Formats: sequence, C-alpha cells, structure tokens
Amino acid sequence: MTQMTSVPDALAAPEGARRRVSPSGGVDRVFRAGLRGAGFTVLGLMATVGLFLFFNGLHAISVAGFDFVSTQTWEPDSHHFGIAAVLVGTLLIASVALVVAFPLALGMALYISEYAPRWLKRPLTSMIDLMAAVPSVVYGLFGSTLLQWEGIDIPRWLSIQFHWIPFLDVPEADPNNPLAPENVYATSTFWAGLIVGFMIMPFICSVMRESFTQAPPGEREGAYALGSTRWGMIRSVVLPFGRSGMIGGTMLGLGRALGETIAVAMIISPIFLIQPHILANGANSVSALIAQKWGAASEFGLEALMAAGLALFLLTLVVNFAASAVIARSRSGQGSDA
Amino acid sequence: MTSRVRPVGRLGGLATALALLAVVVGGFAPASAQAYVAISGSGSTWSFNAIDQWRKNVQQFGMRVNFSGTGSTDGRNQFKNKQVDFAVSEIPYGLTDGGVKDYPPEDGNFAYMPIVAGGTSLMYNLKIGGTRVTNLRLSGEVVTKIFTRKITMWNDAAIAADNPSLKLPARQITPVVRSDGSGSTAQFTAYMAAQHGALWDDFCRQAGRATPCGFTSNYPSLKGVIAQDKSIGVANYVRQDQSEGAITYVEYSYAKNAGFPVAKLLNAKGYYTGPTAQAVAVALLRAKINTDLTQDLTQVYTDQDPRTYPMSSYSYMILPTATSDRFNDQKGRTLSDFAYYFLCEGQQSADRLGFSPLPINLVQAGLTQVGRIPGSTKKPTDISKCNNPTFSTDGTNTLAKTAPQPAECDRKGGPAQCDANGNTSTGTGGGGGGGGTGNKNNATGGGGGSGGGGAGGANGAGESAGAGGTSDGVAAGDGAGGDGAGADGGGDGGDGSGDGSGGGGSSGGSAQAVPVSVDLPPNDGTLLIIVAAVLMVAVVAGPPLAARFMRGGR
Repeated sequence: MTQMTSVPDALAAPEGARRRVSPSGGVDRVFRAGLRGAGFTVLGLMATVGLFLFFNGLHAISVAGFDFVSTQTWEPDSHHFGIAAVLVGTLLIASVALVVAFPLALGMALYISEYAPRWLKRPLTSMIDLMAAVPSVVYGLFGSTLLQWEGIDIPRWLSIQFHWIPFLDVPEADPNNPLAPENVYATSTFWAGLIVGFMIMPFICSVMRESFTQAPPGEREGAYALGSTRWGMIRSVVLPFGRSGMIGGTMLGLGRALGETIAVAMIISPIFLIQPHILANGANSVSALIAQKWGAASEFGLEALMAAGLALFLLTLVVNFAASAVIARSRSGQGSDA
Repeated sequence: MTSRVRPVGRLGGLATALALLAVVVGGFAPASAQAYVAISGSGSTWSFNAIDQWRKNVQQFGMRVNFSGTGSTDGRNQFKNKQVDFAVSEIPYGLTDGGVKDYPPEDGNFAYMPIVAGGTSLMYNLKIGGTRVTNLRLSGEVVTKIFTRKITMWNDAAIAADNPSLKLPARQITPVVRSDGSGSTAQFTAYMAAQHGALWDDFCRQAGRATPCGFTSNYPSLKGVIAQDKSIGVANYVRQDQSEGAITYVEYSYAKNAGFPVAKLLNAKGYYTGPTAQAVAVALLRAKINTDLTQDLTQVYTDQDPRTYPMSSYSYMILPTATSDRFNDQKGRTLSDFAYYFLCEGQQSADRLGFSPLPINLVQAGLTQVGRIPGSTKKPTDISKCNNPTFSTDGTNTLAKTAPQPAECDRKGGPAQCDANGNTSTGTGGGGGGGGTGNKNNATGGGGGSGGGGAGGANGAGESAGAGGTSDGVAAGDGAGGDGAGADGGGDGGDGSGDGSGGGGSSGGSAQAVPVSVDLPPNDGTLLIIVAAVLMVAVVAGPPLAARFMRGGR
C-alpha cells in the first residue's frame, strides 16, 4: 500500500531525492566504471589520432609555414606544397555529393515511411541497407569505368546549357568543334561527387526514415482530422518532427563524403590547382591525395601527408560540432509544438 | 508440433550449408598438397601481367603466391618495412628522386633478381576519319614535348614530320600519366631526362619542382596532364571512346590486352621500332649489368642497332637473403620454387604476354640469386631445358640474333611510312608470329575486330582453350586484317591460350608444356568483376533470404 502511494509522490516531486531500494553496490560501480571507460576510450582515441597527426605533421607545417594553407602544388620533396587545392577540392566533392544525396534520400525516406504499400516497404528498406553495404571500391569501379564514360552527355549538356553559371562552365571544352576531346567532361569533381553521393545516400536515408516513422500517430491523425491531405500532414507533422533526423543524417553523410577515399581516387584525375569548374576534368581531395601518395612517399612526404590529414581531421571536427550545435538548437518535434 | 519440427529443419539447413561450404572449399583447394607456405609480395604494375600469369600457373603445384600491383615505389617501401615477403620494382634502392634518396633496407639482407624484360610503350587512341590509326611513329623529342605539353595538338608539324603518310586531325593531345609512385614513370622520365634534359627540366620547373629534375617515380602534376591510378587505370582511360586523342606510357602488355596500338619510337639509328620481344632483346644487349644485377640503360637509349627499341628495360624482384620475423625457411622454399619456375619455364610465355624473355646470362645470374634465399630448395636447373627463346648453344642471344631488320618504310626519311597493309603492321608490332594458326586468325580477323572490346573479352573467357589465336598472327600475315579492325583482332587473338602449342618454335619435344588449364585470358577483368559482384550480392543477400526461407518453411 505504501508503495502505491509513494509513486505519485515521486512523480509529483521529481526534484526531490531519488528513492533507492538499496545503496549502490559492487555491480553498480563496475557497470558505471565500464560505461565511463567506454566513453573516455572514445575521447582518448580521438585525442590520440589528433595528437598523432599533429606531432607527425608539425615538422612539415613548420617547414611550409603559412604557405601550407595557401599553396596549391604538392611537391613536398622540393619543399613546395600546400593544401589549398586539395581542401577546396574536398569541399567541392562533398557539396556535389550532398546536392545529389539529400533530395534522393529525403524522397526515398518519405516514400518508404509514408507512401509505400506495406509489401514494398521491407524490400525497399533492405535494398537501401544493401546499398550501404556495397564496398566503396565497387562504387569506384562502377564510376570510373562505366558511369563517367557512358554518361558523358550529362555534364556536356549541363555545361552547354548553363555555362553562364561560373562553376558549371567547362573552359577547355569547345562544343562547336567536332574534334574537341570529350574527356574534358570525365574524371571531374562532378563524377566523384555523384558517386560519393550514391554512397552516402543510404546512410542519410536510413537516419531520416527512422526519424520520420517516429512522428507521433496522434498528431498525424489530428492533421488528417483537420482536413489536411497526406502531403499537408507530412509538411505539418512528419517533416518538423523529423528535422533533427534530417540534419543529423545529412551531417553524417557529409562527414562520410569528406573522408571518402578509394572511390574518389579511382575516378578523379588529381590536379593541384583550385578547380572551381566542377564539370571539367581534374579534381582532388585530401583523402584521395593521401591514398595515392602515402605508399610512395619519402619520409618528409609522409609528414606532409600527415599535415594534410590533420587539416582534414580538423575540418571534419568543425563540421561535426557545427552539426551537433544545429541539432541541439532544433530538437525533434520542437517545431510542431508551436 | 511446429516447435519440434523447427529445430530439425534448422539443423538440416545448417548441415546443408556446411556440406556446401565443404564442397566449395574442397573444390578450390590445391590438388597436390605439397604444403607450400603462402607468400605475398607487392610492387610493379609494369610487370604485373607477367607475374600474375606465372602466379596462376604455379597454383597447380600448390604454391600460393599473392602479388598486388601497387606500384614499384610502394613495393620497395613495403619490402623495406617488412610488410611483404618480396617486392618487384623497375628501379633499385639508393637512387635519388626529387632530391630525396631512397635508402635501402637497413639490414642490407636483400638481393636483386631480374625477372622479365619489356618495353615501356606509348599506347594511344587516335582516329582519322573514324578509322583507328595503328601506325603512328614518334621521335623521342616529340614524345618528350607531348608529355611536357610543348606539343598539344595532333596536327603539330613535328608529329607530321614523323608521319609523312598520315594526315592527323586537329585534335587535342591528352597526355595520361600515373598518379601514384611508379616504376613505369621512373623508366619513362629517365629516358626523357637522359635524352632531352632541357625540355624535361623546363617542365619540372613549371610544375614547381627543384631542377635539374632527373628521373622521378611521381610524375609532376600540371594542368592539361591527366593523371590516373596504376597501369590499369591509365590503360583504361586511354581505351575509352571518349578519350580520343589520349596517349600514355605503359608496359606493352597493357596495350596488347586492350587491343590498342602503340607508337613506334625512333631509335638512334633512325628507324622507328615497336616494343616487340625481339626489339627489346636487341636493345638490352647494350644494358650494362652492374655487379648487384641492377641495370644501367644509358647506352640502350643511344644504341646504334637499327632494330633496337629505345625504351626497353628489365624488371626486378627484390628478395630477402636472410630470415627475419616475417620471412622464414618455409616461405623461402615457396619463393625459390616460384622463382625457379618463372626464370626457366615462365620465360617462354613472356613474348605472348607482351614482354621479352631474359637472356641467358641474366637467367644464370638470377638462378644464383635464388640460391641465396634462406630455405631455398637449390633445385639444380638444366637451363638448356627451359626452352627460353633467347638461349643458344654458343652463348649469343638467339632472339636478338634472329630479330628481323626493320623495313625500309620504318626508316626516318624513308620512301613512305609503313601502313597497316605494308609488310609490317604497327598494331601488334612486327615479329615472328605463329605459322599454323595464322591462317585461321587471318580468316577471322575482321570478325574478331568488329566484335568489340567487352563482349569479345567475355566470350574469350567462356572458351579460353578454343580461342587460341596466335598473338602475332595479324602482324605476320599478309595484311588481310585491315587497319583498325586488324589491330583489335590481333589483340583479342592474343588473349587465347593455345599459343604455346601452336605458335613459333617454343614448344619443342620437351615435357614442359605451357600450362593451359589455369590460363584465363588476360582480358578476364570483366568476368572477374561480374563474378565478384554476384558473390557479393550472394553473401549480403543470401543469409537473410535463407533465413526467411527456412522460417517460412515451417
């Protein structure tokens, strides 16, 4: 009897002292220590990676000085190297990937969670999980030997129709000359970004789908009861509830896109100039640079690559912190409460 | 009821799966259980095609040799860091590349062993009026200017001077180079640095390198030069229809596998030659072999023999000569037997694969090196039984001795340029092709050529034994193969595996046949990709499907 009366008391006064059946014993302590250990291991690992890159890359950075951020060439053995080109290239590839992946993932997630008939949901979900399970080297093969050659008309069309948009222009191309080489449209930022977009799409999609399915059924019913269409319901209930999932998934995808290595290395033709023309050949990214150069690097070249890795590490950290800040400001369902 | 049936069903399913696994694993296990320990190596993509073939061939003896073509530089570094049992490289340790010396392993327990010779070829993709050009000729200076962006159009006057019979289109040249550290790049830039140092240094300066540049394993990056990963990457780039106008430097076997022509290069005597086995053998008579068996090629570039191909070189295996944590006597046994195989029998297939066999002095020196491997089986080898086409009884290099003199139309300033219908064809290079099967190949040459790349490769994989055209059939034939299609036909014909028995005089009466059974056509990339994709889908989708099936079956 006493227990029954005590429960409402505890609910009514959540600020009060927690009621415990027994003092925390050995098992509790072990469990807590284990959890704490796991938590700090993650921190420790991150710090180790960061410090490792920092101390190994320090010498190279000190040799290059400020030129390290402003130089575009990569000739570490001649002490003439910098990450200006590769860092910009990384960001460009990741942006293209997001532009491709975000609408695809959003549409796919909404279709699966809201529109698809029941019998189609599970196959679609497993297909998307399968897409995530395909190794990146397979995507790289697909992109480098098939897609970028068979689909070369896509960037050609884009560049001819939209050449007045600066970054869609291909300066080397000459559409009026039948003998102009077509390969100016291959091995570009666009193709690398497209393939990376395919690779990150499933990750973004599954996070979004999870958050969309958690939109409360009561509010869905409410929206319908107020006479909204299905799209109206999605706009007023599902999307606001899923906002943090959308942002979180996108950031997860962005992190992966920034670090994607093999597929990019297989597709691009590395160029050590800032290449703002995303449809034109020649692209680069930090991770592809490391993958292609580290096996053959001299001792100092390896230090320079570590420094480049440090830059990528910091960039990813900044992106992730920014993402968590955004997510923290817009908690799930916050928008629908208003 | 169901709860009793289910475990039985599951157990049955499990047993079936295990049985299937046993069958699959058993099927792939080597037939002869000689208990060789598996070894692994990495390095050169230049000689990858030869090593990969030999590696497949010795599987029948139970030897498992893993070789990953990650580039010579990577191979040397991995060997230095004791991550592999052996490395393959075009250049030795101790050279200075871009001002940085590549120090040899500290313990010094390694030796060089020549494994195969070959020509670094200039594979290109060019058409005139829709017909593929197969008889392009280039001088060393033009090549250097192309790869340093001094010449950017195919209709440049300098190229026209090399090709009086060709009216080349006003198309841009796309030079394709390696983006990773590579022995092919090292050989190619060594040639340019030695022969046209001023042009090369100028290019290096533009790319932000310290000069004098010398040879380098990492091609300097400059706008307009396309860089691709690994030999297969550059070859794949050039072979695309959309890459018309591209040219790259790659070992001849890659061009051969792709069915693409390679340019004839002007030698010091004023003749344009292709990277055939004979031309390479002639050229390497001039290679100075140092005491540690490394090569000095400076005299090869300026060889006065009219038959020589200037960009010829040897490839090396870097062997451990002492045991270590990684390398023990059992591994030494595998490595030595593998080496005995490819130094002797393996050299027979060098020509067919797009390489050139080692001459007798290097085979003998190589055999001595194999004896230094710890745990070496020290197999006594009677090299007269190797059927190496370079061997003769009087110590001369038969292959070089019998190499044909270049045709008059291959002379610079000669009457006219050799075309595909002339007495020498550029597509597959001149040279002594097979007799018996040549007819058949000629008869089907046109069809094979028009069959196209991908489909042709897939068919070849299906009937590898039957497709055995001779590799050089078109070149030796009467030219009925035509120009563009002929080149393709020649390349595809070479994919077959029946050459050893049908071709030149290589298969004498001895007991060593070329092992046909394990001969996948070199063009098996497509097949492997398909198999890999199917396997992957099966592995990923199989278990859940099987689970659902078993659940549904109750």
